[in-house]
Amino acid sequence: MKLRPAYFTRLALEGMARGPYVALVGTATIFVALFATGLFAGALAGAERLLSAWAGEVRISAYLSPGTDLAAARAAVAAAAPGREVQAVPAVAALRQLSVELGDETHVLDGVGPGVLPDAIDVLAPGISLEGARGLAARLRALPGVAEVDYGNAWLEKLETLVARARVAAVVLFAVLSLATAVLVGNTLRLAVFARREEIEILKLVGATDVFVSTPFLIEGLLQGVCGAGLAVLALVAVHLGLIPRLKAAVPLASVLSLSDTLPAGLLVGLLGGGAAMGLMGSALAVIRTLRRT
Amino acid sequence: MIQLFHVTKEYPGDAPALQDVTVSVDKGEFVFLTGASGAGKSTLLKLIFCDEPATSGQLLLFGRNVAKIAPRSVPYLRRNIGVVFQDFKLLPRRTVAENVALPLEVQALPAREVRRKVRLLLRSVGLEHRAEKYPPSLSGGEQQRVAVVRALSADPALLLADEPTGNLDPDRTIEVMELLSAANARGTTVVVATHDRSLLERYKRRVVTLERGRLVSDGALVRRVAQELR
Repeated sequence: MKLRPAYFTRLALEGMARGPYVALVGTATIFVALFATGLFAGALAGAERLLSAWAGEVRISAYLSPGTDLAAARAAVAAAAPGREVQAVPAVAALRQLSVELGDETHVLDGVGPGVLPDAIDVLAPGISLEGARGLAARLRALPGVAEVDYGNAWLEKLETLVARARVAAVVLFAVLSLATAVLVGNTLRLAVFARREEIEILKLVGATDVFVSTPFLIEGLLQGVCGAGLAVLALVAVHLGLIPRLKAAVPLASVLSLSDTLPAGLLVGLLGGGAAMGLMGSALAVIRTLRRT
Repeated sequence: MIQLFHVTKEYPGDAPALQDVTVSVDKGEFVFLTGASGAGKSTLLKLIFCDEPATSGQLLLFGRNVAKIAPRSVPYLRRNIGVVFQDFKLLPRRTVAENVALPLEVQALPAREVRRKVRLLLRSVGLEHRAEKYPPSLSGGEQQRVAVVRALSADPALLLADEPTGNLDPDRTIEVMELLSAANARGTTVVVATHDRSLLERYKRRVVTLERGRLVSDGALVRRVAQELR
């Protein structure tokens, strides 16, 4: 069959103009599915960005066994963490710091001597990843005289597990939503195809091939998919532009977030491609079923 | 052009629509297919334009065995056949010109050529001024003329008409029959299914009669037998 993209696109647009309700329902279905997926994926991308940023700000503390030489331990830690700022924190200084942090409640330390807290070496590692922090902590733990290493691992690892599970949930959600949307779009387009079954019958009567009959419907599905996805992308950008400043104001640690973190270009391209694929798949399902019966 | 050998068509749970029909139509002929309602006229036309397969027997169209034509080739075969129905089968939401253009667009003729041909065809039946109207705004006679023009627009070798005048008054009937006769005069083979006896009497053409799915008389055979007896 001769390729006539302009002719078939015109037929598809005419079809949509004749049945605007069906076109609207198809577009809206794809919009809702992709908007929901985009919201979830955006939240996930934001959480991953925060996770990596928060992990980087964690102060890694190596607590020393009693009797360990603080200066020697500092030198060993500095050697294990090259390029990082390393601070020796004697027990007295730690107790003083704790007293300051307790503020009005400082009286709880009455009678507590400096020997109750261990000497410690702090490593400041801005920009380090969670994986990097974990590796550095392991190296510090292996140093002689180091009794314990703390980098806030308990909550960070919980958060990391949560993000990993959310990532799996996002993939499952997207797969389920894609399938449900393709079926919904397919059924919606079946209505469009059914409404035009007389036209299909007449086209076949005058010698139209199945490809000739189905091409305008496929283009229609594709256009609905691209329109629905385009609207979903615009809505997501609007929602994120509104939410990110509020989140930054409410949670100081979220100050690192930007639009490209929560809605990366890859996600937006994926949503547009996904919408087009859903529309195309839905219309293909509808047309194939109808053509079999005419 | 058309050859049927012992063709039978059965639908599940019904009496056979066609039984052991053997008939042939030569190139350039004008044939009336007649019989009462339910005689099998429409079924026979459906078999000829490959809308349905025969249950048994053989049907040769343009020298090709229809049963052996791949489904994907059927559209190309249909481009040699124009079909006209009693209920016109025009697309109500496409203009008269767009309806006539359909077979030409299906065959991927250039847009300019399509417009030129449609204009000429509509002028030939006096409907050029109705080109941009929609079929529901036309009279029955005008709609059927548009349907005939559409069927003939791609210059098919064969024209099948199923009760083409069934919905028309006598004057409009003559108009439509004149169009079919003119097409036949230009070389198109025409098969008209009708139960209107006045048409058979007015236009002295070969008449094939079906009754309850069986062929009961064929003008060509009668003529041949008469010639042999002489």
